[in-house]
Order: sequence, then C-alpha cells, then structure tokens
Amino acid sequence: MSDPQAKYGSWIVLLSLVSLAAVVAIAWGEYSGHRLLAGGSVGVILLAYSFILLFLRKGGFTGV
Amino acid sequence: MYSRLLARLLGWTLRLDVAINRVYPEDFNPLYYTGGLANLFLTVLVLSGIFLFLYYVPSFNDAYTSVQFITATVPYGVIIRGIHRYAADGFMIAILLHFFRNWFTDRFRFSRDEPWISGMMLLLFSGFLGVSGYVLVWDTRSQLLVSMTAHTLGAMPVIGGYLESMFIGSAGVSNLLLPRLLYLHAGLATFLYIMLWWHYVRIRHPKVWPPAVWTLFSLGLILLLTGLLPAVSQPTARPESTPGTLAVDWLFLLPYVGLKVLSPLVLAALAVVIVVYGLYIPYQLPETPAAMGIRDSGVAQVIDANCTGCELCYYDCPYNAIVMTPSPHPGVTKAAQARKLFAIVLESRCVECGICVGACPFEALELPRLLESDIQQKVVQACRS
Amino acid sequence: MPELTAPRIVGFLCDFAVDASALTAPDGTMREAPNVTLIKVPCSGFVRPTWLEFALRNGAAGAFVCGCPLGDCFNRLGNNLIGDRVTQLRRRFERQKIHPDRIAAIYFGLHDQAGFVASVKAFSEHVAGLPGPVVPAPRTAGGASVARAAGTAGAGGPAGRPAAGQQEITAPEGARPASAGARPAADAAPSQATDGTAGAPGA
Repeated sequence: MSDPQAKYGSWIVLLSLVSLAAVVAIAWGEYSGHRLLAGGSVGVILLAYSFILLFLRKGGFTGV
Repeated sequence: MYSRLLARLLGWTLRLDVAINRVYPEDFNPLYYTGGLANLFLTVLVLSGIFLFLYYVPSFNDAYTSVQFITATVPYGVIIRGIHRYAADGFMIAILLHFFRNWFTDRFRFSRDEPWISGMMLLLFSGFLGVSGYVLVWDTRSQLLVSMTAHTLGAMPVIGGYLESMFIGSAGVSNLLLPRLLYLHAGLATFLYIMLWWHYVRIRHPKVWPPAVWTLFSLGLILLLTGLLPAVSQPTARPESTPGTLAVDWLFLLPYVGLKVLSPLVLAALAVVIVVYGLYIPYQLPETPAAMGIRDSGVAQVIDANCTGCELCYYDCPYNAIVMTPSPHPGVTKAAQARKLFAIVLESRCVECGICVGACPFEALELPRLLESDIQQKVVQACRS
Repeated sequence: MPELTAPRIVGFLCDFAVDASALTAPDGTMREAPNVTLIKVPCSGFVRPTWLEFALRNGAAGAFVCGCPLGDCFNRLGNNLIGDRVTQLRRRFERQKIHPDRIAAIYFGLHDQAGFVASVKAFSEHVAGLPGPVVPAPRTAGGASVARAAGTAGAGGPAGRPAAGQQEITAPEGARPASAGARPAADAAPSQATDGTAGAPGA
C-alpha cells in the first residue's frame, strides 16, 4: 500500500467509525426523543461522508 | 486606479485558488461552484420554507405561538426551523462569495452583463427575504426591525409617509403587517426563480449544483449547527413597549446596525449609491477583447459553404450565441448539401472566444482575424525555428 | 537530428490562463525551455484538434494546449471542451499508430507560472523519451505484391519521408500488405503518397 493510500486510508477508516457512532446516536436520539441529537448526528454523518469522499480522491482510490 | 485595484484583488483571488487547489482537487474547489452552493442552499430554504409555511399563522396573537408550536411540538419542526435559519446564512455567504469572486475575476465582461444585473437583483431580494423572515417570527427583534424600517421609510422626502403606510398596512402597526410580510417573503422566494431564469438564460450548461463533496458538507454543516445551536426566538413581541437592543445576524441585519450611527436618509442614500454602482460595474470597463487590448479577432463567422448543420457549435457555445435555423439553401461541400439546419451567430452575444471554431469538424466557422491558416502558419514557423 | 534532447514542442496558450509574458522570448519560445514555442489563442476551446495533429506532421515532436484551471475557464466551458477533444484525439492517434502521449491538455491559472513551467518541462522530457518517428510513414494502397514492389521502390523516395529533419523510416518487421486506408490529413505537406491511391482499391 503506497504512502498516500495508507495515510488517507486510515483517515477513511476513522471517519467510517465516526459515522457508525453517529448512526447509533441517531437511533438513540430518535428512541429517546432527543430530536436535536438525532438531527445533529445526521449532520455529523454527512460531514464525515464529505470528508471520506475527499480522502478517497486524495488517496488515489477514486478519481479521474 | 480602479483597474489597478481590481487587478490586485484578482491576484489575491487567484492565489487563494492556488492555495485551495493544494488541499482540494481542482474539480472540488468550492470557489468554482459558489453559484451552485447558493442554489443548494436556496433549495433547502424553499423546501424547509414550505414546511414552515404549512404551520405558520400570520397574525399578531398567533404568529409567535405558531412558531413555538413548530419548534416544540411538530415532529422534526425544530430541525426544519434550524436548517431554514442556517441555510439562509449559508445562502447569503454563498451569494457574497459568488458576487465578489465574479467581480474580481472579471466574469461580467462581454455578454455576461445580464447574469450580473440579474445577480444584483437576486442579492437585493435575498436581503429582503432574510429581513422579512426575521420579522415573521414576531419576537422583540422583529418588533425592533419593523419600527426601524418604518422609521427609515417614513424619513424619505415626499413619499416617506406613503412608503411607511404601504409597508405597515395602516397608520400604525396593525394586524395587516404580518400577512403582508408573509406574502413578501414567500412571493419574493418565488420571484427569485424568475430572476434565476434570467440569470441562466445567456449561459449554456450553468453549474447549478456543487460537487457531491460540498453538497454533503453543506447539508451536514447546517444539520450539525441545528443540533448544536438550535434556532430560537427572542422574547415575544409586546406592542406596548419598544425593545432597545437587537440580536444581530450580521449577514442580513447589517443595514440596521448602520442605523445606529447614520441617519435614515443617509443610510438610504448610501444604499442607493451602492446598488446603482453595483449595477454599473459591468459597463465601467471595456467590454470587448479588442477594447481590453487583448486581441481583436472579430466575431465568429459561419462559412455557408461548409456548414452541415451538425449542431456541435450550438451545443458548445458557452454564451448561447449560436442558433440553428432551417437551412435557407444547400451548402457547397458534399456534406453541406444534405443539411437541414444551418448555424447562425448572434453577434451581440459573441465574445470572440472561438470555442465554436474548435468544435466544428467541417471548418465552417472562423474568427475573421485569426483564421486557421494564420494558426497553421504560426505552427509551421514554430517548427522551423 | 537525434530526438533524445530538446524535441520541438508547440504549445497553444489561452489569453486568460497562466500569464506567460515574462516567460517567453520575443520570438515566442519559452526562456526556460527554448524548444517550446507558445502560440496564444483566445480560449483553449478555440484550438481545433486537427491543429495538434498538424503540428506533429510538420516537425513538432509534441503539442499541448494550456487552458485555465478546470472549473475556472474564463469562457466557462473552453477548458473542459478541449480536455474532451484531446482525449478523443489521443484515442484516434492510437489507431493511427501515433503515440498518444505526444499531445496533452494542461491547465494553469494566471499566477501559476512555476507550475506551468514545470509541467511543460516534464512534458518535453516525456516526449523526448518516446520511441520511433512522430508519425508513421504513409501507406500505399493496393494489393500485397503491388505494395511490396511499390514499398521497396518508394522507401528511398519522397513517399518514404514524412517530414524534414525526422529519422529515415525503416520498413517494419514483417511488412504488412498495404491497404487502401489510413491516409494522412490532406493539409500535411510532406506526405505526398503515390498519386491516385486515395481510396482506390487494388490499383
């Protein structure tokens, strides 16, 4: 695995774990009625996804 | 002096691009998609706005409680209200970035003055939309905004009283105010789309949406902000007392901050000067490449004999300056004899960029003072040296 | 003339991309890369792909177009269009047995002189390392026996010389029978193939 792949790859894994945690937060927020927590966690997921896409491109996994 | 200042601002803008392009790949640079970002936020605003409209009551007694009802009781109402508020800020930021970038990089030249004029209108109307949105909540801030606006309108010479009563609806603030402002808010939002049609009409393939990375980022950011800092109303409006302070949203309420130091008349005059100057910007500088001293190649000319009506130039012209018409007579070359369509260049829209020349496979387009033979001569000369 | 050093490169530079006025000598060559000549055009989208081929057939070893950064074309679409056209032309070149790396589309903004110079130099070095003649010898039409006779007779004649200053072409291994096709572009002066072969099978 080349160097940029390794560097960005580890960030992508980290962000995926954050997204997973956010999914749990959404579920819990909905269940317990904390709508703001649920909404904010959707925001966290979308932000994490945007950076995952960026790092996929910069690590050379996707791209032109 | 103006062009020197503009050249320096252009330099800074482009250096910012180079810096951003080191972090983001070029096709993800957000500054290339400021228009698309604005459109994204506008879409969020309209969709969340429709939701809010379904529950809002535009009357003195019920406006504030209806907004509280949306926030506290309606399922996801607090989220929708929050994204409406933060998307409005995002919208204004995107528009301002779009405005400044297109100003500093000269993207209003040649036949791009119409997007500029319609864009200025869009900027103004967005400002009105933001202010009317803050008034609709009918809290203390709204009350202050209404009284400041009425005072400013009333201070205009001659027509001041008329303007003030048109804004408020009667001699004093009454129940006619909020329906008026709701109409201003929702009606202007619809009118924005008409202005947007004008904004796009001279442009082919306008970049209407930002790249996915920035769509996700923007939506995520406004949702996260909603979760962290939910949109709340100030205390409810009380007609008997006038509130003294204003919680400021700098993006929309800057002119009201200005009212603290300037008199209403001066502020209005300043606003008029700024808007009129803004509308004048495209006409201040030379408008053709020849006048700019870059080159004088002449507007594109269609060579009747060769045009086959293939429409490639029509699809590629960035300014919609080529139209296809039914062919009045057959061409000369074999392929041109069978043509059904014929390309015509609208000279007022042509900026002499020559993209149509590059698109045409049949040598049916030329710039009159930069012909293919000129280019070939230069190439041969370059290869000989 | 050996192709290993300083191949002749022709570059089309648009008016709103990198500001190369400080980088070019009065005769149009780049100061830091004298083998590269820049031709200014109103927009990168103005460049017809045939001109890149014309350059290759008239003595250039490589040709490129430089436009504004992708997403920021002054005329909105020009750099994307020329990028697509160059990609198309590269595929066509592969079929014509011209090395596709001899042409390129690059994108640099107004103040990015350093990036532009580095990219042009890299392109020039890459082209210098490419094998063989820039464009293959024009084929003659007709059946195998006619071609072989015509080929051996014509190898030393004008038909065998694609351009002044290029290397002499040696017949490729296992000379294929010529077919009536793959005529070079009509506006390339040197390719005077044997007359009357245009599309005439089995002459």
